[in-house]
Formats: sequence, C-alpha cells, structure tokens
Amino acid sequence: MVRLITHNLLACHAKGCTSNNFPLRFENARVELREAEFNGDFLQGFLPKIEWNALVDTAKQLGDTSLPPEQPEMTDDEFLKNLHHVLMEIHVEEGVMICPNCSRNYPISNGIPNMLLADYEIA
Amino acid sequence: MAPEVTRVTINEPAQAYEDKHVHEVYDQIAPHFSSTRYKPWPIIGQFLCSIPTGWVGLDSGTGNGKYLSLPADRPGDIWTIGLDRSRNLLQHARCAGSDQPIREVVLGDILGSNWRAGVFDYAISIATIHHLVTPERRRAAVQRLLETVSPNHGRILIYVWAMEQDPLSKRRLPESDVGSAGLDVAVPWVLTGTEQVFNRYYHMFAKGELVGLVLEAAATLGLEIGSPSEGTTKSGRGVEIVQDGWERSNYYVELRCWRTQV
Ligand SMILES: [Zn+2]
Repeated sequence: MVRLITHNLLACHAKGCTSNNFPLRFENARVELREAEFNGDFLQGFLPKIEWNALVDTAKQLGDTSLPPEQPEMTDDEFLKNLHHVLMEIHVEEGVMICPNCSRNYPISNGIPNMLLADYEIA
Repeated sequence: MAPEVTRVTINEPAQAYEDKHVHEVYDQIAPHFSSTRYKPWPIIGQFLCSIPTGWVGLDSGTGNGKYLSLPADRPGDIWTIGLDRSRNLLQHARCAGSDQPIREVVLGDILGSNWRAGVFDYAISIATIHHLVTPERRRAAVQRLLETVSPNHGRILIYVWAMEQDPLSKRRLPESDVGSAGLDVAVPWVLTGTEQVFNRYYHMFAKGELVGLVLEAAATLGLEIGSPSEGTTKSGRGVEIVQDGWERSNYYVELRCWRTQV
C-alpha cells in the first residue's frame, strides 16, 4: 500500500544516488480512495516531519489540489480534514515510482511498493 | 516429539544463502503463518504503548505485521510502517486481522536505506536480525536502524533469538561449547497436515552479543554511548542503552538517540 504518508518518507537508495533522490515521482498510478478514521492529534504530531513541497506536488500529480502551497502556521479543522484525506485516504494500488535523480524505477503491485535493489545496485 | 534444531555451516555467499534459507522459506510458509500466531511479547507491547501520539515508526522485518496495529487501545495515534523481504508475508501484514484497516507495508531489505535519513521517530526489529548470516551484516542492520531514526529523539527496540532458551520451550538444541560467538542453526518448520519440512536459518545469539553489536554499530557511526553528560559544553550525538535483557528465549535491547547542541 502506498499512501502519501509512506511516500513522503521514501527515498531512492540506488548506488551513488544520495542527493535529489526524493520525492519519487508517480507514473501510471492507479488510485483508490478508501475512507480512514480521522485522528487530529496524530496529524498535529506528524506535521513537522512532512516534506511539505513534496506532499503538495505529489498530491497534485494524483489530482488533489486541496493543500495550500505553504504549510500554515495555524491549523484549522478544514485544513486537517484535507491533510487527513491526502495522507491517509489516497491509495496507489499499481504504478511506478521514479527517482528524480537517477530515474531508477520502483514498481508498485497489489498496493505493495518494491524497494529492493539488485546486487549490482547496492552501495 | 519436537523437531530438532541442527548446527549449520554457511558455505555460500551471504545473500544467496539467506535467499534460499530465509526468504524463500518464508514466502512458502507465509499462508500458514496466521496473524494471531503470537500474543505480543510484554516488552514490545510496553515499548509501543510508550510512544507519543503523532510519531511514525518502522517495523524492520515486519513478517505478518502483528505489531503494526499496536497499541490496541490507541488506534491511529502512532503509525508503524512494515518492511519485509517476503512479498507473501506482506500480503498478510497489509490486512492483519480482518477487522483491521489496511496497513502500510513496503517490500525491502533491512540492509537497504530506502527512507529519508532520520525520518522515523522509532523503529522496532523483532526476530529479524538473527536471520542474517555474518556478524558484519548483523552489525550493518543495527547501523541502519540507528540511521533511520531521528538523531534527536529516535527510539529503537531489537529482539533476537537467544541460545538461552525458555525451559518451557520444546525445542531441543545442539550441544555446544560456543562462547560469545553465538550459534548458526537450522530450525525446522513442519507444515501442518503434511510431511513437508522447511528449514530456516537462525543465528542464535550468545549472552552479551546483541549489546556488543550495538556498541560496534554506534562506534562505526561515531556516536557516543551512554546518556548525554550533564552541563556538557560540547555538541555531540549519542545513543543510550535504556534497557537490555532476556524475555522468553530472546535477547532484547532498547535504545534512545540524543543530540546536544551548544
Ligand atoms: Zn536514484
């Protein structure tokens, strides 16, 4: 399952790929929306760890434009609801994630991203 | 009679050996690995209960994902992502327990580093590192955990199989005079209702061996060991051993990372 909460933490780790290796770009993404339990306290705690630009851009790629371009200093209910939806309810079931630096492809199948490298790609 | 545990010698490259004697075995026995096979060990439950709301963590070697939904009384307060090398086990982990929401799982290697550095607040690695066949690889696995959590407050819990077995365990161990180096063994898994036996590789840890790995991994990363000294005038990074011990045939160690800035 790749939701944007997970995607926001992932980086490419192919041999020699140590900068500009994040965020991975989705291609041919098949998306499913599934409702998830809202937890405002979790979101407040998770906020400082988010790479905001990556999240906003990736959500846009997947057709969601509800997040503001800058992370707001004060959070209100509407913002948290939108953030919850983007992080927790958009599931990428199939597709590919591509490294912006080395173009390594990481396939997603059955909701599971494959981050394994071949022997020769391991640093 | 309980199946016998036998000593093994590794005479192949590490990755090839682990592929054959660990990953392929788990992929084959995955359907028989029920998600309710274990109650969580008390120390693991306590550790996850103590994690503050809003933290994200990594379960490195999640298997069938039995820890991803803990703590059960605070659903959604913390978010644990499962990583494993067995796709078939991950299919179970994804929806562990039919009444549970779908979990986040990633197919990956515990020696890989497919995360932003230091992005997790906590990490657990339960019954996983003992499937690596060399001391160097086991140390590298601990190193990855230290790199994957926040240098400021990251917390880590590691469990591995111990040579010191629970008296209630029905497993019969090979006689051994090995000191601090541990023991490489094959542990049979008998498929219920069939004659089929799968042997999984384990490194059984000797007393003190796990903490030794932690000390080596920390030294490799240039981390101080212990708690930050009071009134320090230096900036530094370190890792504190919060507790270590033995629980039901396993050794565990709990770590806390810290950084002082002056
Ligand atoms: Zn890359």
